[in-house]
Amino acid sequence: MRECNRTTPIIGSHLAPQWASQSACLLGTVLLVSLAGCAGDKSILDPAGPAARDVRLIWWVMLVFATLVLIGVTVLWLYAFKPRNVVRTPAQERRIARRWIIGGGIMLPVASIITLLMFGVSAGQRMLPLPLGEPPEVIEVIGHQWWWEVRYPGAQGGEVITANQLVMPAGEPVDFHVSSADVIHAFWVPRLGGKIDMLPGRVNKIRLEADEPAVFGAQCAELCGVGHAHMQLHVEAVPRREFDAWLTARQEVVLRELAVADATHDGARDAFKTHCASCHQIAGVSQGGIGPTLSDVGGRAMLGAGVIAMEEGAVSRWLQHHQTLKPSNKMPDHGDVETDTLDALGAWLEALSP
Amino acid sequence: MLLARFQFTHPIHLVVGLMLWSLWFVGVYSGLSVACAVAPPPPEAGAFTGLNAALGGVSLITAVGFAVLAWGGGQAAKQHQGRQRFHATVSAWLYLFSAFGVVFAGMPIISVPPCL
Amino acid sequence: MKSVNQEAIEHDPQQLHNDLHAIWCNPKGLRSLTIVNHTTLGLRFMVTGMVFFLIGGILAMLVRTQLAMPDQNFMSPEIYNQVTTMHGTVMMFLFAIPMLEGLAIYLIPKMIGARDLVCPRLTSLGYFCYLFGGIILTSSLIIEMAPSSGWFMYTPLSSKEFAPDLGSDFWLLGITFVEISAVSAGVELVVSILRTRTQGMALHKMPLFAWYILAMALMIVVGFPPLILGSILLELERAVGMPFFQIAGGGDPLLWQHLFWLFGHPEVYIIFLPAAGIVSTLIPVFAGRPIVGYGWVVFAIIVTGFISFGLWVHHMFTVGIPQLAQAFFSAASMLVAVPTAIQVFVWLATLWLGKPKMKLPMLWVMGFLIIFVCGGLTGVMLALVPFNWQVHDTHFVVAHMHYVLVGGMFFPLIAGLYYWLPLFSGRMPSENLGRWGFWLTFLGFNGTFLIMHWTGLLGMPRRVYTYEAGSGWEIYNLFSSVSSFVLSAGIAMVLLDIALHFRYGKPAKHNPWNADTLEWANTMPPSAYNFVSLPNVGSRHPLWDDPNLPHTMKEGKHGLAVATHGRREMYGTDPITGKIREIIHLPGNSWWPLFAAAALAVVCLSLLTEVYALAGVFVIIAGVFLLRWSWENGAHPSAAPNADVATGDPPLHSRTMDGPGLWAMAVFLIANGSFFLSYLFGWFYLWTVSPEWRMPDIPPLSLLVMVLAGLALLAGSTVIEKLLRGLREQRDGRLAAGLYLAGGLGTIQAVLTGWALFSAELSPTQTTHDAVMLVGLFYALFHGGLAVILTVLQALRVGYGYVGAHAPFEPAVVALLWRYNVITFWLLIGALAVLPRVIGG
Repeated sequence: MRECNRTTPIIGSHLAPQWASQSACLLGTVLLVSLAGCAGDKSILDPAGPAARDVRLIWWVMLVFATLVLIGVTVLWLYAFKPRNVVRTPAQERRIARRWIIGGGIMLPVASIITLLMFGVSAGQRMLPLPLGEPPEVIEVIGHQWWWEVRYPGAQGGEVITANQLVMPAGEPVDFHVSSADVIHAFWVPRLGGKIDMLPGRVNKIRLEADEPAVFGAQCAELCGVGHAHMQLHVEAVPRREFDAWLTARQEVVLRELAVADATHDGARDAFKTHCASCHQIAGVSQGGIGPTLSDVGGRAMLGAGVIAMEEGAVSRWLQHHQTLKPSNKMPDHGDVETDTLDALGAWLEALSP
Repeated sequence: MLLARFQFTHPIHLVVGLMLWSLWFVGVYSGLSVACAVAPPPPEAGAFTGLNAALGGVSLITAVGFAVLAWGGGQAAKQHQGRQRFHATVSAWLYLFSAFGVVFAGMPIISVPPCL
Repeated sequence: MKSVNQEAIEHDPQQLHNDLHAIWCNPKGLRSLTIVNHTTLGLRFMVTGMVFFLIGGILAMLVRTQLAMPDQNFMSPEIYNQVTTMHGTVMMFLFAIPMLEGLAIYLIPKMIGARDLVCPRLTSLGYFCYLFGGIILTSSLIIEMAPSSGWFMYTPLSSKEFAPDLGSDFWLLGITFVEISAVSAGVELVVSILRTRTQGMALHKMPLFAWYILAMALMIVVGFPPLILGSILLELERAVGMPFFQIAGGGDPLLWQHLFWLFGHPEVYIIFLPAAGIVSTLIPVFAGRPIVGYGWVVFAIIVTGFISFGLWVHHMFTVGIPQLAQAFFSAASMLVAVPTAIQVFVWLATLWLGKPKMKLPMLWVMGFLIIFVCGGLTGVMLALVPFNWQVHDTHFVVAHMHYVLVGGMFFPLIAGLYYWLPLFSGRMPSENLGRWGFWLTFLGFNGTFLIMHWTGLLGMPRRVYTYEAGSGWEIYNLFSSVSSFVLSAGIAMVLLDIALHFRYGKPAKHNPWNADTLEWANTMPPSAYNFVSLPNVGSRHPLWDDPNLPHTMKEGKHGLAVATHGRREMYGTDPITGKIREIIHLPGNSWWPLFAAAALAVVCLSLLTEVYALAGVFVIIAGVFLLRWSWENGAHPSAAPNADVATGDPPLHSRTMDGPGLWAMAVFLIANGSFFLSYLFGWFYLWTVSPEWRMPDIPPLSLLVMVLAGLALLAGSTVIEKLLRGLREQRDGRLAAGLYLAGGLGTIQAVLTGWALFSAELSPTQTTHDAVMLVGLFYALFHGGLAVILTVLQALRVGYGYVGAHAPFEPAVVALLWRYNVITFWLLIGALAVLPRVIGG
């Protein structure tokens, strides 16, 4: 079994002692004949923020309680089948029946649900986006079939727009304002907290916080069409200073310079204008708004909304095989474009790393 | 006595309680939704808003009403036998459950801010 | 008047059987399509349901095969989405509901001591609608054009823009067609249970199963119309571009979610309640004692029935509703734990105080208990809002849902099938093969779905067609997939056992489980007329109190042991006390249900292929068939031209002012009212919540014309009420003239409404406001027109002598529709014409 609890120092305050959740995880693992434990970059049971941690605690408590109830009821039922030779008067029978029904049928569930509701309401309240002394960072995430548009309206020097990567400051609450450009998607970073639907025409808000710098997986959680499984998001929490620097490096002026730098890529730029510009935006080169912006694509960790990792030659591979890597995605097949051109395009795009 | 006029031995009382509960539920939910759409109180106010007070007041009155009906049903049950007693008893429990349902589902009104 | 009853008593039982058989028996060959008998149709429902279950099961196997390993290419994402969508749709709409309705249709009349359901032709119509709708829907799989937006069809994914092919249309039209069947079965089950219980079976002496089915049927009646409305609106959006769910025109995709879950949550309990009814029937029998806490169970049924309508938003906790509102629904969802726990402990106490025997059906009940309690517990967890935000739309929810539905429906269903098998066939199942089947199913099921909770907690979202190697989900998915094949082996064994027993099962002795309810007083397999004579039942356990009852019933020693009049007859009784009120005569076999369903199927197909003119023609044809069917009622020569009854017997229902038709109309109007309220909900919801809703500056609908139309309608209704008062006093002077007058007033209302609609100059494809208004006015027009047609037909029937002081029943039925129209029309005036003027945009 891998180590269950990856989180280290905890910023939020409301949580059970470490040993409790660790032993609970052990119990759960044993129960389920689990081989791999609770970890994983999308595991709810491996929280990395206060909201997710609250939910994990609730889960373990509920699991233990539910297991006890299930075992109790089953044992009682099996026991009831045991042959007995007792003769009871009708009055005795009525008394026994009433005891079962009032005790098990009314008191047990009423007590349980009252406890649970109080638990749940108070946990939910802690996750409310209440006004804070210092307004939190706002990040806008807009779902598209099947990629993510990410905007930082509060960036110093002007709004920063990127796609398919979400970089956030660690150790402070962040408000996510989510929406959709087409169908309903859902924004969900399991290790940080609950999900929220991304609806066309509406903006939904959720507050999340990452304890410390780390990388998290995220995936669209609402069926959004054929690309649903491949609509993933790379989330990275970084220290505040790094975050500010990251934003500064993505200011429009910086990106414009980056796009036209290095004359060796002139051919690729021309090819881009012919084949890609009507759908993709690159600051200073094109205005296309159908696909994700590519101004800083070289600096992203993943390509195709989480389909392949960025490495040397990855963009060219993506451009050649994207319809197999991510079936039915909306970018046309590039069979009509020379492989050399695609390689050149890939090299240039990979260089767009601020 | 007024309660006696309700004729708790009639099976209609098997459904009246929870119908009223449903009305209360829909009323509280839609009242909240409309109020939040039209004039949401400031988030800073937390749960101490006029809206919470109004919802809580309505719920309290409803719950008390159900409790009275449950008591009335219980009294009627004692005075009858057979079919009529059956109807009055089950109705009384259903009124009691409705009262509990109002109190229980209304509990969050005390502590949760209305429109967040 | 000759006393038919005395004549009958002289016959011996065999003669009685022959006479009754001659009246009730099923025709063979092609004419078997005309059968309206509930026993036959109940079986047809169940067999058809099982076929769809196998289709849905194969789809499930495909899903598990695809997910067994990471990065598989067994299915493309397009096909995968079709397969998952159809798996859910088929299991919910084509298996679970029709299967349980079939069981209820089969059992209810037998349990309450009746000879058939009250509207036999409606049973037949329901069956054919189900069959044709199911075939149309599943045929989409063959042409690889099945719906693919998930079984709850969230728009905009299911809209024309994002799902341009026919998949969504197949779903919307096919499901609406199937729902006609569900609602019609719901209506007649309610009326049958309330009005045709045998003499003396007061409300508090009904078998618990009847209570459960009564609740289920009422829930269908109230719960299905919101989805029917939603489907109609979405289909209108797709077909002609009315923007009900599009933000741009002023619509809102969330309205679809509300309408869907207003239906969808009660649906879960619609499935669970009859299954719990099976459990509550079996446990006392195998414990050898009456259930303890009968009143508690009734309490639990009623609570479940109501509370389940207050939970729909718990499927929408992540759509961005204020947390306080979520808390209401969270609390309401938890409340359901109380009635469920009460039932569990009632069952436990019954076993505890009895001498339970672990026969094969009880094994399945035990399996049900463990799985369902587990599903119920995860259900309470999901009601907790913060936890729900995490696991919503993951495999945790998939696991929970299968625990509730398979545990709460499939296991009790198999328990019930094994229990009633001797009744179906007269033979016993094989205990050995049955036990193998149970254990394979039970272990396979838990292997598949218990581990799936964990997969979900590790973050696997539902409805992904694949996942990467290294995600940490591989081993669990593989385990689920392997177990799912064990599960299918188990189910195959059960079906094999059931199929084989029809040939090889050893003959069952009479009442083989020593049960207490009346269905076991029937012959095995049952006769077409159920009972030779209808007993007076004084307790909840007629067969335990009088084990000889089946024999005396067969010998004709109880009520209505007469067949010489040639009518299909049974008692109509008081809904509360069970005292006899009238004799209900039922229609015989008929082609009209098949013809009407076939015409509706053509409508469905022509809408699919967008041949709208043909659809219009066949709507009219279907209407003509249905009206022709209604013609053969009352004093019509093929119904009951002769009203003679034995001295001392009550009159025929068509000769009174009260009968099953009146009740059926009332229950149908409850369904209709639910549809109408859903419509009003949609109007006000969009008005207050939709982001881009616009009220026109000048209200388009003329208040004056609408009020005049409302007054005409009111006048028409008043005329009919006056005629009814006369009929009650045996006066039918100028009855026909009065009916024509009412028809004329109704026509004026329809014309005025049409004029209001026409002069409003709506542009329904541009704004949602106009589209919603148009739907409301069409609703009023349709109902006004229907009332006119029915009233004029009544006037014609007066001329033929089918209706009058001697047979005053039918005008009372039509009058109900008029009252309904008056109420809804004035509400419509208030909502569409008055309030916008008062409040404004």
